[in-house]
Amino acid sequence: MNSKILIAGEGGQGVQTIAKILIKAAYDSGKKVGYLPNFGVEQRGGVSLAYIQISDSEIVFPKFDKADFAIILARRAVKRIEKNITQKTKIMFDNSILKESELSDFRVEKIAIPASRMAKEKLIPRVFNTIILGALAEELGFINEKDLKKSLLDHIAPKIKERHEIKHFNLAGLDLGRKTIRDISGR
Amino acid sequence: MSQPRLPKCVNKMSKPSNFCPGCGHSLTLKNLGFVIDDLRISSSTIFATDIGCSLLAWDYFDIDTVQSHHGRAASIAVGLKRALPKTTVISYMGDGGGYSIGLNHLVGAARRNEAITVILVNNTLYAMTGGQMAPTTYKGESTSSTPEGSFAKEDPFLGPEFLAPICHKEAFLARTSVDNPIQIKKYIKKAIQNQKNGNFSLVEVLSYCPTNWKTDAKRTINFFDYLKGFYKTGVIKGEQ
Amino acid sequence: MIFLQTEDEPAAGFGVLGAALGGKKSWTATAAAGHLLLQDAVVAAEAMRIPFVAYIGQRGGPSTGTVIYSQQELSIARDGGNGEGLRIVLGPSNLQELYDLTILAFDLAWRYHLPVFILGDGYLSKMTGEVDLSAKARVVKADPIVQNGKRVMNLRNCYSLEEEIARVLHRELKDYGSIAKEVEKSEVYKCTDAKIVVFAWGSVASATKEAVKKIRKDGHAVGLFRPITLKPFGATRAKQSVRNAKKILIVESAFGKFGRLVTEALFGISDIEVERLYKPAEGITPEEIEDKIRKML
Repeated sequence: MNSKILIAGEGGQGVQTIAKILIKAAYDSGKKVGYLPNFGVEQRGGVSLAYIQISDSEIVFPKFDKADFAIILARRAVKRIEKNITQKTKIMFDNSILKESELSDFRVEKIAIPASRMAKEKLIPRVFNTIILGALAEELGFINEKDLKKSLLDHIAPKIKERHEIKHFNLAGLDLGRKTIRDISGR
Repeated sequence: MSQPRLPKCVNKMSKPSNFCPGCGHSLTLKNLGFVIDDLRISSSTIFATDIGCSLLAWDYFDIDTVQSHHGRAASIAVGLKRALPKTTVISYMGDGGGYSIGLNHLVGAARRNEAITVILVNNTLYAMTGGQMAPTTYKGESTSSTPEGSFAKEDPFLGPEFLAPICHKEAFLARTSVDNPIQIKKYIKKAIQNQKNGNFSLVEVLSYCPTNWKTDAKRTINFFDYLKGFYKTGVIKGEQ
Repeated sequence: MIFLQTEDEPAAGFGVLGAALGGKKSWTATAAAGHLLLQDAVVAAEAMRIPFVAYIGQRGGPSTGTVIYSQQELSIARDGGNGEGLRIVLGPSNLQELYDLTILAFDLAWRYHLPVFILGDGYLSKMTGEVDLSAKARVVKADPIVQNGKRVMNLRNCYSLEEEIARVLHRELKDYGSIAKEVEKSEVYKCTDAKIVVFAWGSVASATKEAVKKIRKDGHAVGLFRPITLKPFGATRAKQSVRNAKKILIVESAFGKFGRLVTEALFGISDIEVERLYKPAEGITPEEIEDKIRKML
């Protein structure tokens, strides 16, 4: 097993946070992991990419050409990752940020999650990325739920200290993401 | 009691020194040597020179000495002091190195209140390279890069006065002149004491450079007295 | 460990030198234009034989602020000074080596009193992965150079006469030559029977090895030569590695900085075809390298 996951969004969305929490959980689930953040000097607004590899065997090189999963979270990121999408790539995207028709060039399996809208309507906008994280972990299938929760809570521990309700919103976001995938796939 | 001709900490092997006749460096170094003798710190002192004429002091003392590059004598002194906090670290430089290329390092060291002593010899030009204009060059002063006299409209750079507002309150900043050995020794002593108390100190020594000023003895003294009118000696920050 | 945020790279570099003189293991890290500024201190280390360690996270140039990745700082690290470039440059190819070679860098710097670069890149600087930290660090002790309890040191880096500095350089070059023999290190992977030998270093060498492994599986005689010390460069081993090769491929994320080293090392071998995969300031994946090699088969 070797999953190559490319998350493509923009600075400020929490793209790199998703990656960090996911690989820690995967590592704790007994996998080999590799993660390469890739972004420019902007703290906000520029295209932000995360190259993630989760495998049973050693990760040799941090970057890859062909993604197994592409998670698209911003319109401006689409062009940057065109070359990484093959016929076998599965796309997950936020359909409250960009329309499916904008991805019509890619004739591959697509999973739409309105994470941005769900976060705003049901929780708080900031947990948009946690919903994506839950959805991605569910879709991957091999991430242990306990490890994922622990990784998430470790990562946001300093924020929970400041505002305790952050914990609830994030855990709810994770569940919401997972549930959405289960509903789509009828699991 | 009259003082010996040369301080004990001077490296006799390095004499005669490499400085030009009439150079202010020799006088400054000699007085620094007397202070080091008086304080009995020669074995626990590290002397860091810049380049420019100050580097010619690399073997002046029988004291651990290291030469750095242009403007970097404060930086290497910071590293030395951080590694060996019990030693006395003296950073020795000229006005070109200290106030031009290395000013950033003086600002950094002064703001962080690094416990080093900077002795900066100001002869109002880049002497080693042939007497070019420096930030300290006086308006109208003739140098090799301003042969018709400096057209600079700005006042010459006043180092201690510039550093005073950004220094820690315990820092010691002073200006003395090379014709006043008693004051040089007094200020250097205070500066080293200040370092021992954990604070930054800088003593600027207004000096002469007859070689590059192209002045004979009389005109050297005249120009020097003229400079003193602008470069006021005294304690600029710290106890008098 | 004490951290000191300095005002700029020369201050960091000369601060490192001061601390090293005082007998403390010290180091700094920078990249790009900062790397240029740091060279000021590196030549001082070279000249006065002061231990010095710097990590460089190479990034795209001549831009400033293109913080992602490149292999373009090889020449500055090797020869960026105004002297003869008497330094050691290590090129880690993955995170494990980044760890191991950093330990080695401190050992070499304090063993030989030379500047040592760990020449990483933006990928190595920022990626996350698994590293085995169990290896015990065996590093030479840091003795103070000044205040050494033995004799007074008067260190200088200025000479009045050309003959004077030439004498010093002659001695230093000779010394470096013998040090070079001790520290030179390279990985020669399946080159003995290789018809094609690929030359790569750093992260790119990891990607290359992956490609070479895949093509080997199909029965093609392909090998990899990877210098671990980019300075000194193992020219003799490089020459040996192409004994049976008809073609070589040079792969780097720069436009021939590494390529020039390779061709210089192989100078005199005329019956060999040279191909290049140069992608300045851009990462090169195993897939791309594999494609390129397959076209050469």
